Amino acid sequence: MIEVSGLNKAYGPRAALRDVSFTVARGEIVAFLGPNGAGKTTTMRILTGFLSADAGDVKVAGFDVFDEPRAVRERVGYLPETPPLYPELSVGVYLDFCAELRGMGKAERSRRVGETMERVGLAGWERRLLGSLSKGYRQRVGLAQALVHDPPVLILDEPTSGLDPAQVAGIRDLVVSLAGDHTVILSTHILSEVEALCPRAVVITNGRIVADGSLEELRARAPGGAWTYVEVQGIEGRQLGGLPGVQVVEPLGTVDGWECWRVRAGADPREGLAALAAGGAFRLRALERRLPSLEEAFIGVVGREGTAA
Amino acid sequence: MRGILTIWKKELRVYAVNPTAYAFLAVFLFLSGLFFFLGITLTGEASLRVLASNLAIAELFILPMLTMRHFAEERRQGTLEMLLTSPLSPFSLVIGKWLASLTLCALMFLGTAILPLILAHYGDPDWGVVATTYLGLLLVAGAFCAAGLFSSSLLDDQLAAGLLGIVMLLPFWLVSRAEALVGDELAERVSAFGVLNHLEGFGRGIVDSADVTYFAALTFCFLFLTFRALESRRWR
Repeated sequence: MIEVSGLNKAYGPRAALRDVSFTVARGEIVAFLGPNGAGKTTTMRILTGFLSADAGDVKVAGFDVFDEPRAVRERVGYLPETPPLYPELSVGVYLDFCAELRGMGKAERSRRVGETMERVGLAGWERRLLGSLSKGYRQRVGLAQALVHDPPVLILDEPTSGLDPAQVAGIRDLVVSLAGDHTVILSTHILSEVEALCPRAVVITNGRIVADGSLEELRARAPGGAWTYVEVQGIEGRQLGGLPGVQVVEPLGTVDGWECWRVRAGADPREGLAALAAGGAFRLRALERRLPSLEEAFIGVVGREGTAA
Repeated sequence: MRGILTIWKKELRVYAVNPTAYAFLAVFLFLSGLFFFLGITLTGEASLRVLASNLAIAELFILPMLTMRHFAEERRQGTLEMLLTSPLSPFSLVIGKWLASLTLCALMFLGTAILPLILAHYGDPDWGVVATTYLGLLLVAGAFCAAGLFSSSLLDDQLAAGLLGIVMLLPFWLVSRAEALVGDELAERVSAFGVLNHLEGFGRGIVDSADVTYFAALTFCFLFLTFRALESRRWR
């Protein structure tokens, strides 16, 4: 549904995007992940035809963004970083205007505006002025604006930034409900959001894609990989490190008198440790295999590239 | 075509609830009353001749302030990003906004309609001349609104955009009297760019195609520049 290849963009002497390529299949939800200033918004603005690129090809819904911008714009719903609202208009008038921009007739407009308001939780808010809305409701109106023409492709730039947890959950539920019939790209720097929403993440930093894959793949790329969490009593760290197969132990502190350790080993050490504990070598309360958190994976991937650039 | 109408309707809605627009409207009506009074008492003629040239100067200061909002504010609110990523063409956007500003001007002139009615009550004005005077003022408004839109498309700060619009238009006023003041060939050529010279005929009931062409060309130039300024933002 979205094909980007060899995209380059510079603002003056500063390169904003360097050879960015990725594809998004129909019905997929993909997160654009990266630190602030990484190039997420620039990429989205190019996808929507708001900005040009210096080099590269972009196809959205089968149309070239640069050659057939209008066909692309008709098929894309876009929520910019700040919801694009006219403070002096009411919710109903504004959404009607957005629908009219999309070329809908009067009857279709009133039907679609009603449906969309229902969908984003704005039912009954027609007459409120946009300027008087709270951040959460402004974001909802912004989403409604992107959805009103029921576009096959949705591009959402930080849809949950600045919202309270309940509002974030509301927007997330909405985005999840869109999957399937809509292809969604959303940008964020909040990792838990990716875990909650997107099976796939494209990590971008310094204008370059540094990782693209499922969250599991991303985690596996974190330095160190999987490790084992143990809580023990009656054994010192040095002894624990000397056990067969164990390579590195790192202390994680004590919880109610139990010592917590991070154990790294060549092969999974759990069975061996359990057997030793069962034999009375030490007392064992917890033994758990863990993958690195997405945060660790993210810092691993972004930090490495960040210093290289 | 439909896009133009959509934008036109939206802009008029926004104008209708915009206190600044009303403030400038009030100033314009006050000035037109004042110029009317002075014109009548100084010349003793039942005509709008003095009023017309003075109102053109009032337009020069007021219309850029009425149009300064358009692109500067859309950009600040982020709504320009929405408009330019919708199927609406930049052409429709510019023309829709221009027509909305011009509609506001027409309403403003409608507010001054009481002045010729006063003339009619006490004297016998030439209605043809009244009509051409208003036509001339509307043509001036078209050009000045286009200039205001252009300055608004250049700057992010709306007040700065308004002032830039005034500064861009000032030469068109100032050169108007060059010929009368200096009188050589260069001055004559320069004053051909003056707004007042081209408005004069309308005040005497003459619709000269050269004058109409002048205003149309000025309007076209500024609208074209606005369009290009919008397009160029893609390439930043």
